[in-house]
Amino acid sequence: MSETEAKIEEKPAPVEEIQAESVAEETKYDVKAKGEPETKKEGPAKWGIAHIYSSYNNTIIHMTDLTGAETVALSSGGVHVNADRYESSPFAAMKAANTVIESAKTKGFTGFHIRVRAVGGVGSRVPGPGAQAAIRALARGGFKIGRIDDVTPIPHDTTRKKGGKRGRRV
Amino acid sequence: MIFEKLIRIPNDRIAVLIGKSGSVKSKIEQICFVTLDIDGDTGEVLIKSTDDVEKVEPFKAMEIVTAIGRGFSPENALTLINGENTLHVINLNEFAGKSSANIERIKGRLIGESGKARRNMENLTGTLISIYGKTVSIIGEPNKLRLAVDAISSISSGSMHGAVYTKLEAANRRGKQEKMKLWEDQNVFD
Repeated sequence: MSETEAKIEEKPAPVEEIQAESVAEETKYDVKAKGEPETKKEGPAKWGIAHIYSSYNNTIIHMTDLTGAETVALSSGGVHVNADRYESSPFAAMKAANTVIESAKTKGFTGFHIRVRAVGGVGSRVPGPGAQAAIRALARGGFKIGRIDDVTPIPHDTTRKKGGKRGRRV
Repeated sequence: MIFEKLIRIPNDRIAVLIGKSGSVKSKIEQICFVTLDIDGDTGEVLIKSTDDVEKVEPFKAMEIVTAIGRGFSPENALTLINGENTLHVINLNEFAGKSSANIERIKGRLIGESGKARRNMENLTGTLISIYGKTVSIIGEPNKLRLAVDAISSISSGSMHGAVYTKLEAANRRGKQEKMKLWEDQNVFD
C-alpha cells in the first residue's frame, strides 16, 4: 500500500524538475554560445534535510525535503551488512550514505542540512560511530553541507531506565 | 557548514581542559578542526567548527570535552581518537537513589582498596575507567565497553567483586575463541 502511494506521490516531482532545468538551460544557451559543451549542469540550488540516527546498534539515514514531511531517500546500515554487530560500523554507514546519495542526486538535490540524533532519553547521548562516517560520505558525494545540528532528545526529568530495581541480569 | 554545541563541565575541570598555557585546548582544536570557547566562570564550553567538512570531527570533540569534564586526564581522553573508541557515562543515581552516603559507598566498591577493583576491571576489559562526582565514565571499543558497563552496573547493584571478575574472564575466553574461528565465517571487510 504505502509503496504504491509513495510512487504516486513522487511521480509529479521529477516532471517539475525537468521543466525547471530545461528552462534554466534554455536561458543559459541564449546567453552563451551554443558550441560550448557544458560539463556541469548548474540547476537551481535545492536543499533538503538529512536525518541521521546513530545508535550503537544501527545507523539510519533518512533524507527529506526542507519541511521534513516528504521522504527523498532512506537507507540504513543493516541493509548493507550481514552480521548484527557490524550494523553500526562506519563502513556500513558509508555504504548506506552512498546509496542514499544516488537517489537524492537523481531527484535534483544539491545540498543538505544535517540533523544528527543519538538514542537520547535514558540511553546514550553521544552519536554512535556511524554518524561521522555518514556525514563525510555525504560531503564526498558532492552535496553542499549546511548546518549540522545535534537533535538528540534530552529529558529535563527522566523516566526510569529499563531493567528494574535489581538491574540487568545476564 | 556550521556546527555549534554547548557543553557544561564542572568548574574544577576547566583548568585541565585548557592545560598548561592552553596546550590541551589547542591540541583538541588541531585534531578535530574545531574552535573551543571556554567560559571559566560558568564552565560552559562552546564547540564551533571551521569550514572544511572533510576533516572536521565535531562529535569526537564533544566526546573529548565531556570525557575531560568527567574526570579523565587529557592523555586518556585523547585516546578517543584512536579506532572506534567511544565514551559512556553512567550516573550512579540510578543505583543509589538520592542518598549521597550510598553514592560514596558504591564509589568505594567500584574503586576498591587503593584502586584495585578499578584496575582489575580496566585490565580485564581493556578499557579506561574514571570515577568522578556522581558518575562513572568508560572509554573503550563498543563491544569491550558493553562488558565494562555490565560489570560496573552489577557491582554497583550489589554483586560480589569475585563473581564479576570471573564473568569478565569467561567473556574474554569466549572472545578469544571467536577469534580462532575460521576466517570464512567472518566479515573480512572490517
